[in-house]
Amino acid sequence: MKKWFGKILPSFLICAAGATAILIGIAYFHFISRKIYEDSTDHLREIYGQVNRSFSSFVERNWGLLEGWEDCFALAGGAESGEAAEFIAEEKEIWGFSEFYFLSEGKTCRTLDGAEADMELGWAWDGLFREKEPVMAGETLPTGQEITVFAVPVEHGEYEGFGFDAIAVSYTNEDLASSLNVSAFDGEAMSFVIHNDGIVLLSTQTGGSVFQNYLVYLRAASDLDEDALAQIQDDWTDGTSGLLQCQIGGVDHCILYQPVGYRDYMLLSAVPQSAVSAGFLSVQKITINVLISIFLLVGVTAAAILLVRNSRQSRKNRLELQYRESMFDVLSNSVDDIFIMLNTDDHSVDYISPNIERLLGIPAEEARADIRVMEKCAVNYDVVIPREELESIPLQGNRYWECEYMHQSTGERRWYRMTVYRMSIQDVKKYIIVLSDRTQEQQMNQKLQEALTAARSANEAKSNFLSNMSHDIRTPMNAIVGFSVLLEKDADNPDKVREYTRKITASSHHLLSLINDVLDMSKIESGKTSLNVDRFSLPELLSELNIILMPQVKAKGQSFTIHVQGAPPEQLLGDRLRLNQILINLLSNAVKYTPDGGRIEFLVSELPGSAQQYVKLRFTVRDNGIGMSREFQEHIFAPFSREISSVTNKIQGTGLGMAITKNLVDLMGGIIQVESEPGKGSTFTVELSFAYPEQEKTELWYRQKVSRMLVADDEEEICRDIREMMRDTGVEVSYVTEGAAAVERAIEAHRRQKDFDVILLDWKMPGLNGVETARRIREQVGADVPILVLTSYDWSEIEEEARRAGIDAFMSKPFFTSTFWQTIEPLFPEQGEQTIQEAEVTERVMEGRRFLVAEDNELNAEILTEMLNMEGAVHELAANGQEALDMFQKSAPGYYDMILMDVQMPVMNGYEAARRIRACGHPEAASIPIVAMTANTFAEDVRDAMEAGMDGHLAKPIDMAVVRSTVARFLGGTLQAADIHEEKKDPGQGPGGRGNA
Amino acid sequence: MKKRFFPFLLTLAAGVFLAACANASGGSGSTSLTVMGKKTDMEKSYMTEIFSRYEESTGNRLKIIAYEDAEFETKAAEKFAAGEAPDIFIHFHNADLNRFHADGHFYHLNGESWIGELTDSARAYCEDKDGNVLGLPFWESSVSGCYYNKTLLDSLGMKAPATQAEFDMLCQVLADLGYTPICWPADGCSWMFQFGLDPIFADDPGLLEKLNANEITYAEIPAVTDMVQWVADAAEKGWFGPDYLEHGWSDISTLLGSGEAVMTFIWDTWFYTDFEQGNRYSIEDFALMPVFMNTVEGGTYEGGNLNMMMVNQDSGQLQAALDFLAFCATPENYNAAFDGISTVSCFKGQTTNIQSAMVTDAAASIAARERVSTAASKIVGYSADDVMSAFDSLFRGKTDVPGCVRLMDEYRIEDAAKQGAEGF
Repeated sequence: MKKWFGKILPSFLICAAGATAILIGIAYFHFISRKIYEDSTDHLREIYGQVNRSFSSFVERNWGLLEGWEDCFALAGGAESGEAAEFIAEEKEIWGFSEFYFLSEGKTCRTLDGAEADMELGWAWDGLFREKEPVMAGETLPTGQEITVFAVPVEHGEYEGFGFDAIAVSYTNEDLASSLNVSAFDGEAMSFVIHNDGIVLLSTQTGGSVFQNYLVYLRAASDLDEDALAQIQDDWTDGTSGLLQCQIGGVDHCILYQPVGYRDYMLLSAVPQSAVSAGFLSVQKITINVLISIFLLVGVTAAAILLVRNSRQSRKNRLELQYRESMFDVLSNSVDDIFIMLNTDDHSVDYISPNIERLLGIPAEEARADIRVMEKCAVNYDVVIPREELESIPLQGNRYWECEYMHQSTGERRWYRMTVYRMSIQDVKKYIIVLSDRTQEQQMNQKLQEALTAARSANEAKSNFLSNMSHDIRTPMNAIVGFSVLLEKDADNPDKVREYTRKITASSHHLLSLINDVLDMSKIESGKTSLNVDRFSLPELLSELNIILMPQVKAKGQSFTIHVQGAPPEQLLGDRLRLNQILINLLSNAVKYTPDGGRIEFLVSELPGSAQQYVKLRFTVRDNGIGMSREFQEHIFAPFSREISSVTNKIQGTGLGMAITKNLVDLMGGIIQVESEPGKGSTFTVELSFAYPEQEKTELWYRQKVSRMLVADDEEEICRDIREMMRDTGVEVSYVTEGAAAVERAIEAHRRQKDFDVILLDWKMPGLNGVETARRIREQVGADVPILVLTSYDWSEIEEEARRAGIDAFMSKPFFTSTFWQTIEPLFPEQGEQTIQEAEVTERVMEGRRFLVAEDNELNAEILTEMLNMEGAVHELAANGQEALDMFQKSAPGYYDMILMDVQMPVMNGYEAARRIRACGHPEAASIPIVAMTANTFAEDVRDAMEAGMDGHLAKPIDMAVVRSTVARFLGGTLQAADIHEEKKDPGQGPGGRGNA
Repeated sequence: MKKRFFPFLLTLAAGVFLAACANASGGSGSTSLTVMGKKTDMEKSYMTEIFSRYEESTGNRLKIIAYEDAEFETKAAEKFAAGEAPDIFIHFHNADLNRFHADGHFYHLNGESWIGELTDSARAYCEDKDGNVLGLPFWESSVSGCYYNKTLLDSLGMKAPATQAEFDMLCQVLADLGYTPICWPADGCSWMFQFGLDPIFADDPGLLEKLNANEITYAEIPAVTDMVQWVADAAEKGWFGPDYLEHGWSDISTLLGSGEAVMTFIWDTWFYTDFEQGNRYSIEDFALMPVFMNTVEGGTYEGGNLNMMMVNQDSGQLQAALDFLAFCATPENYNAAFDGISTVSCFKGQTTNIQSAMVTDAAASIAARERVSTAASKIVGYSADDVMSAFDSLFRGKTDVPGCVRLMDEYRIEDAAKQGAEGF
């Protein structure tokens, strides 16, 4: 219904208005035509009525003229001919006739000058002479000229001997025609004076006439039928006027006839219809033209207005369209959605947003030319939607597909939701396609999925962990509780007490490691872990690792080698503690998961590409142990993950070690990788970057005059590495790969009195081993040249034999210049004594020292008291930080040697107490060593302690060895403990705290 | 004029002298005269008849020298050039006669006793430009004019026009009614154009003289242009019918006989020689009226082309030759010769010949309007075919009216120059 009103009704109204206008036009035209015809014929009748009257008058006038002359010629019957001629000439001049005739009843004719005229006149003779009536007749002269004769009978007379009974005048038809001619019809009208039988008497045509019988002519030339012609004939016979229309020669004519009034003559006029109606037609044409012009003008004006309006509207629409397109382009450029409009028939592109080039790397022009170019971007061909599937979308409906496209230039993959709308507007169908970028959503979904999976996995892992931890914690706890019960029961049996105590200690250590790991992991996962970057020695680190690992390795009969490739710097900046933790974890696992007698290799190498300020080191731990499945490798670094197998089930572990390791490596900006095959072993690789510390220039080598050394090792690579590492020292390194060769070189040098300053021998060499080589060198060279043995093995078993053979010292592989120097330095007398003395003091460093111990936990305080007593130290206890501060402030300078400060204490914590101590006015406030003694063992805790003004950090549970080392570091071993003890015996100078003082 | 007057006197004197010599010799016995003419002409029945009658009546002998038509002009000219001109030379009074130097070779017959026997038109035909009668017209003749289908015209209630205006009127009315007013076979109407030109030069001999002296051209004669313009207009108005360019000589009969065409410009004897009987209309349906080609108001007829018997003024038997001509001009003899021959009369006393009703009916009109064939016979360099060629260019739109006139001039002058005419 709306469509009917919107579209059909206006069209119907326009058609109806047009049809009405046409009908009105036709009716008007018909009316006008009819009116014009009537007016034209009236006009024709009027004109030719006048012509007829004029002609009749002319005839009557001529007859009257002649009758008037009758008397003249009768009187002049005997007159002089000259007078008559003169009279006629005058009359001729007046009336315009062409000739004057005398006619006799004998049908003879004479002119005025007496010439005989050939005048036939036909029937007119009878009328003239018998009926004595005036006559009018046509005549053709011998010259061919046609004339019309007017004659009247007169009384018989005689002129110059010619007897006459009638007189006549003639007019040439041409003259008559001109007098009768009607100029009203532009010369197109023809008038005839005809006899009622059709014979033409006179024609008004200029130049003559070719018509002889007009009735015959009409019969032959017109479309009048015989009835019409008969009617005409009747009319003419009856002397009736008439008007008819006919076609003559294909042209419409009006034929008008009316009696002249003389005998049977008629005046007939034939005028082309066009001429008759010319004037009216002209009016009609003008009227019609005016109307048409008005219509046209109105139409043109309306059309122009419509055109202008349409043009404006079109322009406005175009502008709006352009703006909309521009806006759409801008909009589409600012979003990551692609918009396409396709024809449903041929899938040609009507529109495509220009951002397709940015988003998919396809120029918009290419896509506009052929939409199929997008198929190139399809990651998979699922995005090529079959035509049938598109056509199955309901009109005004939509359907969408998820698809992945790859950017043609960058190769970037993005996910899109392709929504296809099948639209139909005014029966024109289009596909509107929107490709919405769903990459973030997809990625988020993926992450959510991964997170969900991870959460599930973590949850599962934690469940497993809790299950495992329940077992792992309960196991040592069971031992501790059980043996504690047994200890109480067997307290009187010292052997059992020692046995129970040892087992309780072992279980406690295991339990402690479990707790440390859990806490470490917790700390790392909470993001609170930070690095404590400081200068450290790579050789020392490796040496410690060797020391730590060697007992376990020996226990399992495994071989363990440390190898250093290239010449990595010995001094590095980094978190030594964390690096140590990483490497111990890897090496411990290697030992743990390698069967007895297996092989463990530890390789340190410098990677190429290190910058000037940084060195990138690769640490490789390789074993030939049980290996891991590929599945487990994929989540080996996930927390709480442990491979379940018959073997691993027997090995204690928290499942956090590798997770901690991975997190620490990540924290240090490195990478860790694993390659493993079940039954063949595993290889862990850690790559880390370290900064170079400021190099300490030393002239040790020069000062000790070490300028030449000989190296003997069957592995030539080691020899070259040593020479490379010694390059910067200025020491010339010669090497051989056999013991015998070393002997020869040493002897040769000695013979030339250029002994080597140091000889470094590998222990296990083919042929002569290191010990035998040293013995032979000593035999030939003497005892002056220091000889060292370089080995990766435990040399304690051969130490005595080696020293007898002349070996001065041992050093562990790998070779480091610093280690080397530390090893050979004691071999020079003035340096070696002090070192040995220091070492001895360190063993008794705590003896006689006075410690201020701040510990709120009585149990911990009791344990510490017992331990300090065991070391021969004196101590006074403070229950919190405030108390410790007070005691220190009250103490005499030198009364306390060191303050051991717990951190978490009531009243005042350790950090605050340390800060107060440092800030107090005590003379030793700044110098008194304050060492944190806390269960807060993270690096951050150490840093906090340092920031609070403390000098060191001891982790609980207390390891006395560590305590001794710490004390030695701050207090040294130069003072005799007894002396110190004596000086501090004065109780009045003490703060009066608890303890053993 | 002065240049020609002196030779004329010489010729006249020589003629008189030779005639006297001939008369002197005539009484001494039979005479043999040489008569030279075209073979087909010599074989005409009336020619053989008169030759026979002469020989029988006089006992004189005639030696007929007849050449094949194609070589007649050339061989005759060679004889004349070789001094072997015949006593009597028979030739049409046309341009070709000029090569025989008619005014120098032939005896002027103005004073002969039979001159009065000639019809006016026949005499006019035989006169040269100075009014001297060059020969005795002894030939079958015809009247050229506008032959029209009177029956058809009557059926249309129309009559023959008397003026150019009426003729034009008639043509237009006929054309309006769908008839072809004038049968004008463009591909074979070479003779028609001279009908229009005749009055121009026949009525103004001075004009002809200037034209032949190459002192004036057609283009300078307005009447010529008027005629050409009329022909062009007539063709344009459709008065020649829709297909006149494709029509030729052989189509005339059909077009006229069928009533498709109403009129044509031709001669009366054509109806007896070429008009095919059995058509819708027959000879009886036709009548004669003047030719109207816009050169003379009342129209014109062209008199017949006649072979003339000319006497070699240098003939040794001049008198005998003149006697022969006088024999032929005797009513008894020419009536005997032309007995039953369809021809227009050349002699006033000619009674045995057959004259067509068309000509007879129009006798008064012919007498008033006939002109001797002037253009074709007296214009130096005139060629009917050349004129037709010029008009063909006009009809086919290759040139306009002035161009057509220019072509007529060019062809004429070219031919005159070829003929070695004086002044060209």
